[in-house]
Amino acid sequence: MVEELLFFMEVLVGGLLAGTMYSLVALGFVLIFKASATFNFSQGAMVFFSVLAFCGFMQDFNIPFIPAFILAALLMVVVGLCTERLVLRPLMNASEDTVLMATIGLGYVLEGLAQAAWGVEVRRLDLGIGDFPVPWIADNLKLFISALDITAGLVAAIMIISLFLLFKYTKIGLGLRAVADDPGAASSIGIPLKHIMLLVWSAAGVVALVAGCMWGARAGVQFALVDLALKALPVLIIGGFSSIPGAIIGGLIIGAVEKVLEVYIGPFFGGAIEGWAPYVLAIFFLLYRPEGLFGEKIIRRV
Amino acid sequence: MNNTSANILDIKNIEVRYDNVILALHDVSLKVPKGKVVALLGANGAGKSTTLKAVSTMLASERGKVTNGSIEYDGNAIDKQTPSQMVGLGMVQVLEGRRCFGHLTVEENIISGAYSRKLSKGDINQELEKIYTYFIRLKERRKSQAAFTSGGEQQMIAVARAMMAKPKMLLLDEPTMGLAPQLVAEIFNIVKELNTKEGVSILLAEQNTNVALKNSDYGYIIETGRVMLDGTAESLLNDDKVKELYLGISKKGRKNFRDVLKEESLTKKRSN
Repeated sequence: MVEELLFFMEVLVGGLLAGTMYSLVALGFVLIFKASATFNFSQGAMVFFSVLAFCGFMQDFNIPFIPAFILAALLMVVVGLCTERLVLRPLMNASEDTVLMATIGLGYVLEGLAQAAWGVEVRRLDLGIGDFPVPWIADNLKLFISALDITAGLVAAIMIISLFLLFKYTKIGLGLRAVADDPGAASSIGIPLKHIMLLVWSAAGVVALVAGCMWGARAGVQFALVDLALKALPVLIIGGFSSIPGAIIGGLIIGAVEKVLEVYIGPFFGGAIEGWAPYVLAIFFLLYRPEGLFGEKIIRRV
Repeated sequence: MNNTSANILDIKNIEVRYDNVILALHDVSLKVPKGKVVALLGANGAGKSTTLKAVSTMLASERGKVTNGSIEYDGNAIDKQTPSQMVGLGMVQVLEGRRCFGHLTVEENIISGAYSRKLSKGDINQELEKIYTYFIRLKERRKSQAAFTSGGEQQMIAVARAMMAKPKMLLLDEPTMGLAPQLVAEIFNIVKELNTKEGVSILLAEQNTNVALKNSDYGYIIETGRVMLDGTAESLLNDDKVKELYLGISKKGRKNFRDVLKEESLTKKRSN
């Protein structure tokens, strides 16, 4: 009995921690959705682009870890700047659907640029954190939990806290929340939309880089990272597109549910239900709570 | 720069088109003297909002453009500025329909108005306290989410928010829309107070002709994108045509708009 409980705990904790990796990807989507009410289809490409550039800086130019990370982060700010200037500003008065289509195009451009600059082969990213159980926890708690998962959990926690503080207590955060509510009214009182857009896209780029590092360390830095980012979709549906805590909790739920289902129910379906179980859950949410757990409710005065 | 002019705003014969095709304003000219309240009156679709948006340069975001004529604000021509630059120059528009940031608290809404100014936390709080002396009702509700406040309170938030930008000129687009008469009076009292105590010049678009004229110095009446009539508020209030068409009062006593139209078509038939 104790054995079984321990095993369940291990599956659950492993799932929760793996879920924070989804949360990190979802965070990037939320940032952009808040400011421009658009699902950014290029987020996956941004993950791929940023982490590939990071690897390129380290492996092709022999730049040490930290400067390479800073360079990659700066590169993502430049990408944000170019996106604002070349894509968003000309589409300022276009409908949300047009912007959505533009993000799909932007995704292809980033994928192409990344591969043209850094090549197409799978790269190994070594963060110095192994993807194997931590001995101390295995010995004392009898749980086998990956060090990489624990790191991802910590990183996600730090990111959510700093983003929360940024939005709640800084001037630019207030500007961002105002733009998220009503861009027209925000510009009527002198909040410059272009600064807010630049901030949001740069922040989403840096978040993409962090998420890319975690996933790259686990699965190798490769093109598949682009599609992996779409796993964030059920996370967002469950957590709510416009909520940062929602992205985190949504990721945890998806991570835990998919692992638990895989282990306990998977065998009845011949395994590999991890791939689609989150989407089934997402459908239920769409039916019964379309704004997600933490999404901003559509407030309507009666 | 020529700041000696007595008018803070001088609109000369502007023509406005949306999407390069739809002609919204044919020929509108109006002046707002410094420190005065000017009412822009007319029915739905007459071009009141379009005029205000032409001034605040918010037209661009609705694919509208001033295709003829000129607008001069505080001695400078307005043409290529962005709305946020206009706010920097001291011109703030309060959009039609209040447009509060629903998920922000009342206080956050008001503070957001100071975004374009470089103020310290202490300065912001000082400004906030000053604003609350005009909007006492808002101080009580400072922590509630703006979306859950009443229509009158939301209108006050919108005006208070605009005041935080320290404007020289306010453009108010239908501030009393859908409000009970008592609230209409309250809003106008505040607007009047801001005008006299803070010296803000005001251009006010309204359908509520009677109340608007009683609280203004000068009035313009526009219809289908043209200025039909203008004059001091007093002269307009006593004008027979205005009385009949916009105030619903005729020599024979009260009348509604339909009666006036019926009468007009009858006289037309007769003259035919």
